[in-house]
Order: sequence, then C-alpha cells, then structure tokens
Amino acid sequence: MKRLLTLFSLTLLYLYHARAQEKIILLNEGMWQADNGRLSYFEDGSIVSNQWFRDSNGMKLGDTPNDIIQINDTLIAIAINWSNIVQFITPDGKAVAATEDIPNNRRLCSDGEYVYVTSYGHECETIEGTVYFDKGFVAKIDISTFKVVATCEVGYEPEGIALYEGHLFVANTGGYAFEEGHEFETTVNIINAGTMTVEKTIDTGVSNLYGEMSQSERYLCINSPGDYYEVSPCGLIFDCKKALDNEDCVVVFDYPATYNTTTLDGKFFAVGSSFSYLTGEYEFSQLTIDPREMIETGGESGLSESLPGTLKADFMSMSQPYGIYVNPYTGYIYGSDAGSFEGAGYLYQWSPEGQLLGKHKVYINPGHFLALPPDGHYDGIGNIAQPQVADYHSAYDLQGRRIGNISQFKKGTIYIKDGKKTLYNR
Amino acid sequence: MVYKDFRIIWWVKNAHTVFSTIKRNYYLLAILATVLAFAVTASASAQNPTDSIKELHEVTVTSKQPVRTIATSQTLSGADLQALSTTSVADALKYFAGVQIKDYGGLGGLKTINVRSLGAQHVGVYVDGIRLTNAQNGTVDLGKFSLSSMETVSLYNANRLDYCQSASEYASGATVYLQTKRPTHDSLSVQLRNASFHTWMAKVNGQFSWKGWQGFVDGEYCTSRGDYPFRYHSEYEDTVGHRANSDIRYGRVEAALFKDGFSSHIYYYDSERGCPGGIVRRLSDKYTNVGREWDRDFFVQASYQKRFFDKVLFKANTKYANEYLRYCTDYPENQNTARVNNHYRQQDAYGALCAAYMPWDWLSLSSSYDIRYSILKADLKRFDDVKRVDQKLVFAAQMKWNGIQAAVSALHQRYSDWTFVHAGAADPIDKWTPAVSLAYTFHGITVRGWYKEIFRAPTLNDLYYTQVGNRNLKPEDTKQLNLGLEYHWDNRQWAVDAQADIYRNKIENRIVCLPLKGTYTWSMMNYGKTFCRGLNATLKGHYHTKQWNFSLLSSITWQRDVDRTDPTDEDMYDKPICYSPTFSSGITGIAGWRSLQFTTSYLYVGERMWSKADPEDILEPYHNIDMKLSYTHNIKKVSLGLCLEVCDVLDIQYEHIPRYPMPGRNYKLTLSFGV
Repeated sequence: MKRLLTLFSLTLLYLYHARAQEKIILLNEGMWQADNGRLSYFEDGSIVSNQWFRDSNGMKLGDTPNDIIQINDTLIAIAINWSNIVQFITPDGKAVAATEDIPNNRRLCSDGEYVYVTSYGHECETIEGTVYFDKGFVAKIDISTFKVVATCEVGYEPEGIALYEGHLFVANTGGYAFEEGHEFETTVNIINAGTMTVEKTIDTGVSNLYGEMSQSERYLCINSPGDYYEVSPCGLIFDCKKALDNEDCVVVFDYPATYNTTTLDGKFFAVGSSFSYLTGEYEFSQLTIDPREMIETGGESGLSESLPGTLKADFMSMSQPYGIYVNPYTGYIYGSDAGSFEGAGYLYQWSPEGQLLGKHKVYINPGHFLALPPDGHYDGIGNIAQPQVADYHSAYDLQGRRIGNISQFKKGTIYIKDGKKTLYNR
Repeated sequence: MVYKDFRIIWWVKNAHTVFSTIKRNYYLLAILATVLAFAVTASASAQNPTDSIKELHEVTVTSKQPVRTIATSQTLSGADLQALSTTSVADALKYFAGVQIKDYGGLGGLKTINVRSLGAQHVGVYVDGIRLTNAQNGTVDLGKFSLSSMETVSLYNANRLDYCQSASEYASGATVYLQTKRPTHDSLSVQLRNASFHTWMAKVNGQFSWKGWQGFVDGEYCTSRGDYPFRYHSEYEDTVGHRANSDIRYGRVEAALFKDGFSSHIYYYDSERGCPGGIVRRLSDKYTNVGREWDRDFFVQASYQKRFFDKVLFKANTKYANEYLRYCTDYPENQNTARVNNHYRQQDAYGALCAAYMPWDWLSLSSSYDIRYSILKADLKRFDDVKRVDQKLVFAAQMKWNGIQAAVSALHQRYSDWTFVHAGAADPIDKWTPAVSLAYTFHGITVRGWYKEIFRAPTLNDLYYTQVGNRNLKPEDTKQLNLGLEYHWDNRQWAVDAQADIYRNKIENRIVCLPLKGTYTWSMMNYGKTFCRGLNATLKGHYHTKQWNFSLLSSITWQRDVDRTDPTDEDMYDKPICYSPTFSSGITGIAGWRSLQFTTSYLYVGERMWSKADPEDILEPYHNIDMKLSYTHNIKKVSLGLCLEVCDVLDIQYEHIPRYPMPGRNYKLTLSFGV
C-alpha cells in the first residue's frame, strides 16, 4: 500500500512537472478584413482559451496577426499585419503597448533590447520623423520607448528576418510582382543591426523567398514558393557565417519548405507541398534537414524525407497544414491544420519522438507559435546589450527596493525597470 | 500568409460567351428550322392581310401570359414599385421571399442578390428579355439600375414560362426580369433630391407616345460622399467612426423605343467610386487602404417579336455591350496592399432566334438558339486576351388543358474559350440540362411542382485570372425541386394573392477560391456540396375605393441550408452555410388618399453565421423599417411633387458582411415637376 501511495504521489508529481513544461501561445490569423485575429493559449495538454488576448485585455487583437516572438522575460511582440500594429504583451497576455508606426509589418526578431520588424510598406514613423521607401524596409524598435529609432531600406516585400552576430538577415520576396511593376526578388540583405545599414546583398538565385524562415544558430531554412508558374517551389539552407565571410553560403534543395521549424538538436523540420495546375495533383514533402551537413556537402547529403514518429502521416491527413513548431525548451512538437478556412483550425501535439498526443480545436487559420519558458525565464535575456547607465535612475531590485545610487548595481543582476526585468551587465 | 487583394477578383469582368462550334449540326438545323418557320409564315402572312391586323393586339407586352401560375414568381409592378422606398433594383428585390442581398455597405458598394442560396452567379438578370451580362465575375451589380424606368420587377425561381423565349432565359437558376415602361402619353419630368451623407441627385425623364411608337429618355446624375457614421458596440469593443472612401459619383443615360413587337434599349453608365474596406482594429485613421473603381458600361439591344396565323410566334434578339473597369490602389495612404492600377475591357455581342408553334390552343412547341461572343482584355501581368463563344439551344413544349398545365424543356449549352494565357484555354463545356413543370388549377387554386437542373459555367476570372485562375474547373451544378400552391381572388374593390412554395436545392462542384493545401497560394477550385430546404410564402392584398387605396405586401422565408461536402468532417457536415439566415420576412403597407401616399416597409433578417469556427461568429438579426410620404399637387397640366423618405427609422446598425457596416437612419427629400 505504501509503495502504491509513493507511486501515486510520484506519478502526480511527474504529471505536475510535465504540465508545467508546455505553454504555447498560438496565433490564429483569422479572416482577412474580419478583424478576428486571436490568440489561443495552450497549457497542460489543453486549450486554456481561444481568445486569450480578449480575455486578458477586454479588447480584440486586430486583423491578420502574422508573427509572434518573445523579447525578454516580460515582453512578447506580435505583428498584426492588416491592423498595421505591433502589439506588445506580457507573457501572461496583458497588453503593454502598441505602435502603428510600421505599417504592413510582417515578421519579427529581437536581441532583447530592440525589436526588428520587416515591412512591405513604404513609410515609417521614426523618432526623427517620417521616412519613405521605394521598396520595403526593416524598422528597429527600442523597447524602452516602443519607438522606431532607425530604419533600413531592403528589397521589395521583405519577409523573414533573423539575427546572427550583430547582423540582420532579411529574405526578400517581391511578392507583389503580379500587381506591381517589379519582378520577384531573389536576394537576402545583410544589415548591420547597430548602424542599420545594408552591408551586403546575397543573390540566392531563387525567386520569392517567402514564408516561414527558421534559424538554427548560423543556419537559416528559407522557403521559396517559386513564381507559381514555370519556376517550381524549393527550399534553401543559408549559412550566415559563410555569408559574412564572403564564402558560398546557399544550398538549394528541390522540395518546398513552406512551414519549417528548428529542432532541439539544431536541425530543421519542414513541411510543404506543391500543386500542379496541369494535373490538379499535390506533391507533399516532409523533411528533416541537417543544415551543417547540407552546407558542408553542398547539398549532397543532410536531407531526409522523413519526420519523427507519426508526424508524416498526421500531416498528410490534415485538410490544410498551416504550421509546424518544436518547443525549444522541451522538444515537444506542434503542428496546425487550418481546416476548411470557414471553420476552426486544429492544434496538434506530438511527443519529441513524434507520437501524437492530442488534437485541439482552436480558431481560424492557426499559423504561428510561441512556447513560453517552463520556469518563466526566457533564456534570450542573456542577449541583452548593455543599457545606458543613465537609464538606471529609477530601477528596483527583485525584492522591490528602489535603487537610489548607481554604485548599488551589481553586474549580472536582474533589476526591474519600467515594469520590465532588465539585466545589468556593466 | 499574404492576403492578396481579392477584391479585385470580384470586380474583374467575367465574360460570357460566343463563337465557333457551329460545327454542331443540330445547331445549324435549329437555325434553319427557325428561319424556315419565319420565312414560311412571313410569306403566308403577306398573302393574308387580315392576319397582320389581328397580330397588333396579340404582341403587346401586356398580352395574356401563358400558363403563368406554373412558375414560382413574385412581381412588383407600377404603383407598388414606385411606392416602395427604394432607389435601385436591389432595394426592391430585398422584399421578395427567398432573396438574400449581399451588400458591402457604403453607397457605392457592390449589391448582388442570392436567391434560395444558389449564389449570386446563378441569378440571371434580364432587361426586356435580354440578359445583362455584366462582366464583373458573372454577377450583376443591381445598384446600377434605376427603378424609375421600370414597369415591373419580377423574380422567377427557375424559368419564366412564356411561349417564345430565348435559350438564355432558360439558363439561370433564378431569373430577375426588369420590364421597362412603355409610355402611354407624352410627358416630361424633373426630379431633384437631397439626401443624408452629402448626397445630391438630379433626374430628367421625357416620354412620348405617337402613332404606335413609344419611347423615353431617362438621365440621372448623382454624387454622394457616403460618409455615414457607424458604431460597433460590444463588451470588448466600442468603435465609432465615419465610413471613409465610400463616396460615389455616377451618371446614367438610357433611352428606349418601342413599336408593337419591336423594342429597343440603349444604356450608358459612368461612375467613379471608393471601395471601402472592413472596419478593423487600428490605432488611428492614418492608413485607410484606399481602393477606387471606375466603370463605364454601355449596351444597346433590340428585340422583335411577331405572330403569324395565331399559330406561329417568332422572336429575334440582339445586343452589343461594352464595359470598362479600372481598379486602382496606387495611393500613398494605402500601405497594406499592393499598388495596382488595372484596366479591364470587355465586349459582348449577342444574338438569339426563337420560334414557337402552337398547332392547337392547348399546345405550344418552341425552340431557340442563342450565340454570344465575348472578349476580355486586361493589363494584368501574366494575362492575355480571352475570347469565349457561348451557344445555347433549347427545345421546349408547353400545354394547358382543362386546368392542367405542363412544361418541359431541354437546354444544351456549349462554351468554348480561346486564349494564350499560360495554362491555355479550358476544355469546352458541352452539356444538356432539363426542366419540367406541372400544375393543376381548380377554383382559383393552383397546385404546382417543378424540377430544374442547371449549371453555371466558370467565369473567365475563375479560369484565367492571374495566379488564382484554374482552367480545370468544372461547371457548378444545381438541382432544384419545388412544390407550391397559389391562390388568387379579386372583385371590384379587393384583390388577394397568396402563394407558398417548399423547395429543395442541391449544389455540387461549388466554385470557390481556396488556399492550396500546404502552400501559400490560393486558387479557384471545385469544392463542396450544399443542400438547402426551404419555404417561401407571399401574401398580397389590395383594396381600393374612389379616394382610398390600400396595399399590403408580405413575404416570409424559412430555409435550412447545410454543407454536405465531407461526411467525415463533423465540424462542417450538415452544419448551416455561412451568411444564410434561417428566417427572414418583409411586410409593406401602402395607404393612399387622393394624391397623398404613405408607405411603411418592415424587413426582418434572422441571425446569420459568418464563420463556423466559433458560435460567437454571427451577424445579429436585424429589423429595418423604412417610411415614405409623398404628395403630388396638380395645377392644370403641371404636377408638383414632394417626397420624404426615412430609411432605417430605428437607426439599427447592421451588416451583411462582418465589419462592413451599413448606413443607419438616413433621409431623402425629393422634389419633382412634371408636365
């Protein structure tokens, strides 16, 4: 009996422990111009809410949210495309600030101090006034003021953005090529994040670098849907380090990587399909990509047409695959099915080995994921650049005591400043 | 995901039809037969002058309609039509049973109707029997047609049944007939209107009737800012604002000429309008997503009908239409969308020959051949001119014997396209479809039943539009079954009409724009089946004395329209179709005393879902009350009129499409002079 009780308590403890691991915010894009973008919050293997933002704030999120990232322990950014809003929330869903200075915003990345946003738009409100662009641009938002402090013009309709070694890597699409005068873009711009100037432009030779872009340290996984006519879809592995060192940095493979994500061991999972108007048939691809091997062998090896466990079969059974994600803290795998586009989509959860654990009804077009750190601490905080000493005049320590004097700060300690945790590492 | 500006697609012209395929022998035979019938009877009539005198009485439009109650139809005519608080044809149709209006709000917004949930593209709109082939994606913007030149507006579910009809009149799931007025005397009238939201309108109408010739010229110019206020109020939102980019300016000139069996019509419409978007969360009004549209529509049509020996009826129709549309989003405040500036031009030539033979009083046999040639040009990238030839041939028989009425028809349609767009032209469509109607009348009560199969061909947009067009589309098929009762009674002062129909519609191979699985692209696809059951009922009553007249018009619609696509999809299967209300009703009361008239209309539209994802995604039911008071004063031969209309008296904020608010309460004041 005693043994049984112990076992029971251990199981409970395990369950409790396991539950605390998985916290996922899922972005439902909603329908265009229907103002029904929503956040779903998933915890404990179940959906807590399919209108989490509204529950937390008593207001709606906006129209067609497109990307969500965590900036630091206390701040999350959401790019709400058709609302022209970048919305900042806390990890418990509370709205902190919002800016409309970056219209037609697309994708986000952050170094913990600044948020970088790509935009298809042609104007941006900065602290130095309105800046206009012929093509697309990247805006740099200072999260202490939520203002745009610098911008940089890139190619037409820039999409994916990633940060590596103080440089931003921006994939250009030229996605309005059918409507506007220009052609599809084939380039990746490399921008110095400090000065916000383009240092290099790499021509990948592949047009329309559109869709999800995942990063595994120095490697990027980029999708190209082709030109929807003669040029068929494909995928790219991009080596940021080699790009900075002026070496060959692109390997192209023949499968689309429409939805992709980074695994715990630094690989990429990718799911995609191509459709032929001539035959009316789909060709599906489910890939596991080892980017290092791909780059080293020039694409000879490093790509396998498989996904762990039942993932492949489960994706094939979906009516409309719409995203794939690996929780970077736990390795649990997530996928989404947009369903019929009139009805609700579904969130799928798999174990790290690829065993399907559950399927949960969410909202319309669930496409973008963010895992919250299990212990509440976002490990990205280590990336914070040095703040200005002068900024520390009204900071508090974690016990809530006001820091009156700069000499009281200790290097490597976290303080509360403007309601946010900030690392002092001077 | 990228949301391309799909609005463009809805606006792109869809061309219907014509050319080639006279390879088909029976078409030739049909033409020959028709021409022969005409030649034989024409020569016969030449030998017998008394027949041609008789025919003058027979061919007038108001001549007795054959077997009318066999078709399910609703008509608004003359005084009732003018008494409604309506300006466009779309406004009048909303009072009909089974009709759902789709309206993007704004004064210039696209207004289309959907009948018994078949979809707007299954509704054919006919002016004096000739189809309006508005190229805009196969649907007709009913906002472009004025009621002032109309004698009647009728809606037929399935076919109108006339002895001599063109094949295209058999070719839509539901048909709206606009019958232009044939003037009976000379007159000239001028109207001036001021209405809410900075709206000004002027209208001139001149009519004549001389030695059997009748005609009119009608001109209208209107300008409106359309900046109406709206409010979204709920527990998580309180948004107020004025509709932006909802202005419209248009001019319309049309003229018609009639003599006996001849009728002709010429029409020109020129407009510029804003295309307002959905009201979504924004932090300010800084970015407005401006899209603007210019339209220039022109058509000229003529029809001639003649009867010989009382046994043969012959009709010829011809039409030429030219349409231009420009859609532009190339404005600095437009930060979200691609900056497009596209021009679409479409031309359409049409001809039809119909002949009917009535060997006995109780039987009529008819055939008709229609051909339409369309060409669509657009400066879209990756687009090339598209030409379409659409041919239709119908064989029909009708009988009426001792209260029994029956009609059968078989329609053949062939569509062939030519284009150099990348994927190439679609394969031709070649298809027969039947329709059968039966009715029995006793003691003023008619019991009827009909069945109709018809399809809509994919429009040129659906097939060839850059990026989303899909040349492999199949036609969208519909099957309609209807059972109904109709009752009519009248005496010198009273008239009562009542009808009720139950129906069942099935639609297969729906043509919809869907995102492609696992890619970021959208495409037109054949997807889905729907099943719809419903009840339409109307009741009309009229009472008049020397000084008073009263009318009561009412309609109710109950229907259940469900998805039958995928039996394994429990979220969708057998679930209601979005935007389809279960219940709606309308009631209009008209009271007139001498030249003073008062009209009140009440419309109720039940709850509609707009997505199946959340039970919260519904459009609230709404009540709409319109009132109209008009007075005409005659001084000798001059008449002076004053009319005040109040629409949406209760100022109810409602929508047909989520986030596209409709105007609330608004006023119209009209002054008119006539001689």
